Amino acid sequence: MQAIQSYAVFAENVTKKYEKQEVLREVNLKIGRGEFYALMGPNGSGKTTLASILASVKSPDSGKIMIFGEKPEDAKKITGYVPQENFSSPILSGKENLMYFAELLGYSKKEAADIVQELLNKVGLLEDADKRVSQYSGGMRKRLEVATILFPGLKLLILDEPTTGLDPSARRRFLGLIQELRNEKTTILLITHIGADADLASRVGLIDRGVIIAEDQPEKLKKNSGLENVVNIETSFKNEQVSSLLSKFSEKMKVLETETGYKVFTENVEKVTPRIVRSLDQIGCKVTKIETTQPSLEDVFFKLTERKVREVD
Amino acid sequence: MGQIRATWNKTIMEFLRQKTVLFWTIGWPIIWVLLGSFSFTSNIPNDIVGYTKGAISISMMVFALMTAGMANLPGNIAQDRERGLLTKIMSMPVSPWRDFTGRLLALLAFSSLSAMLVIAVGFICGARFFFTEIEFGMSIAFILLIFLGSSGIGMLIGTFVKHVHGAIMSGVGLTVVSAALSGVMTPYQYLPSVLQSFARIYPISSANSSITYLLVGEEFAGYNPLGASQVAATVLVALLLFTLGLIAYSKLCWKKE
Repeated sequence: MQAIQSYAVFAENVTKKYEKQEVLREVNLKIGRGEFYALMGPNGSGKTTLASILASVKSPDSGKIMIFGEKPEDAKKITGYVPQENFSSPILSGKENLMYFAELLGYSKKEAADIVQELLNKVGLLEDADKRVSQYSGGMRKRLEVATILFPGLKLLILDEPTTGLDPSARRRFLGLIQELRNEKTTILLITHIGADADLASRVGLIDRGVIIAEDQPEKLKKNSGLENVVNIETSFKNEQVSSLLSKFSEKMKVLETETGYKVFTENVEKVTPRIVRSLDQIGCKVTKIETTQPSLEDVFFKLTERKVREVD
Repeated sequence: MGQIRATWNKTIMEFLRQKTVLFWTIGWPIIWVLLGSFSFTSNIPNDIVGYTKGAISISMMVFALMTAGMANLPGNIAQDRERGLLTKIMSMPVSPWRDFTGRLLALLAFSSLSAMLVIAVGFICGARFFFTEIEFGMSIAFILLIFLGSSGIGMLIGTFVKHVHGAIMSGVGLTVVSAALSGVMTPYQYLPSVLQSFARIYPISSANSSITYLLVGEEFAGYNPLGASQVAATVLVALLLFTLGLIAYSKLCWKKE
């Protein structure tokens, strides 16, 4: 058994209630030093509450938490937290915002100016450093906010849903930045509800209704879920008949309803796909789009929680 | 010192760059100084018109100080809370006292700038004052009391009114209503007796009367506000409001849920 001090994050039996609602139920979480861990779950699953407890913004009702062997309030100097909201001041420039955080962290004006220059370069905002943040795109603003946790000496970075609201190119650029951080051997805790983001992590925890229901490497989670492949079908209409017809093509009778159609889980994609189209055609249901994919972490989550996509949207 | 300076820099830049803040804290009182100086003083005898303009300028300077403390400060606090900045800095090794000191010093600088501009415009419009060095020093002390009282109320609003617009509107509303009811914007002599009592308890209006009394004379203040008990009440209530605001801000805004 590893000593508590050897973990970047050690949380044991953490519980938290808001009035009568239990948001975290005896959560256990261990993140190794230098690990990139993603905590994934739908809205209201308790992931943001857990992140803010680890960042010492909220207190747990019970349980034990240690960050690099210290209590969260004593580990503030080594913990960087990016909350969900866009906290940077829109009427200050990117540089002025970072200078503010640098001086809060105790750097002299001269030191702060040098470090801020470096950080702006790192997040690709050097050219826009003197523009007001109100003129930044969503992606630029998020990169600026991530820069606030890149100051030297921070060992644990907690990012709460950093890609929410970003367009695909901003998201890709942002995730590239996270990958760079990973290469620097910093411990990263990424809070997300997006499977593709969580896929980048070395380990993923799936959280639902205040409980971590599964935890492993992304590939292992997918492999062990029993979900081999998914046929995504968009249909002209959805009803019980279509649903029960599709379930016949899944070895485990597993079909999920999505916003625009269905997901059929099967081990024989190549055989099954043309048969699905034919069968649906016979009952007058047009297939507007069909594609096969590997199961995503979202699929694993839904499988484990036996919930439909629309339930958690 | 670094944390205080950081918060000071951020807050003062935010005050100086927001057009609405500039308008309501500096522009609006200046408009009233101009209106008061040129439209409302036409029937006043020449020998007192300069002092009347002086009294108007003092009232508008006090109004500017009230707006800064009671509307701009809570707006700034609510803004930082609403956009998650308070959450962010709570996760950092930042002391609430340093944050508060930085904020307050920035407010003091901004309030002083507003007050000086309003008085300067009044002076250009013909406002005249008559005072000794001691009276001038005492006036500065009363200005500080107005600052403490207003910022105390501002911190209370900023703590309890969670949203930016709500906080600013509550602050502006309270500023306008209390200025009208307490004799800051209405001559003390014309207030009904119940409001005259309020004007003597409300530290901002009693400090306003004190400054008017010191710089332009009793006939413009409406009464002598420099009696020992009156001054003691002004100091005590201003300090009480400030202390309450300070406790609310540091205990509740920075409270770990």
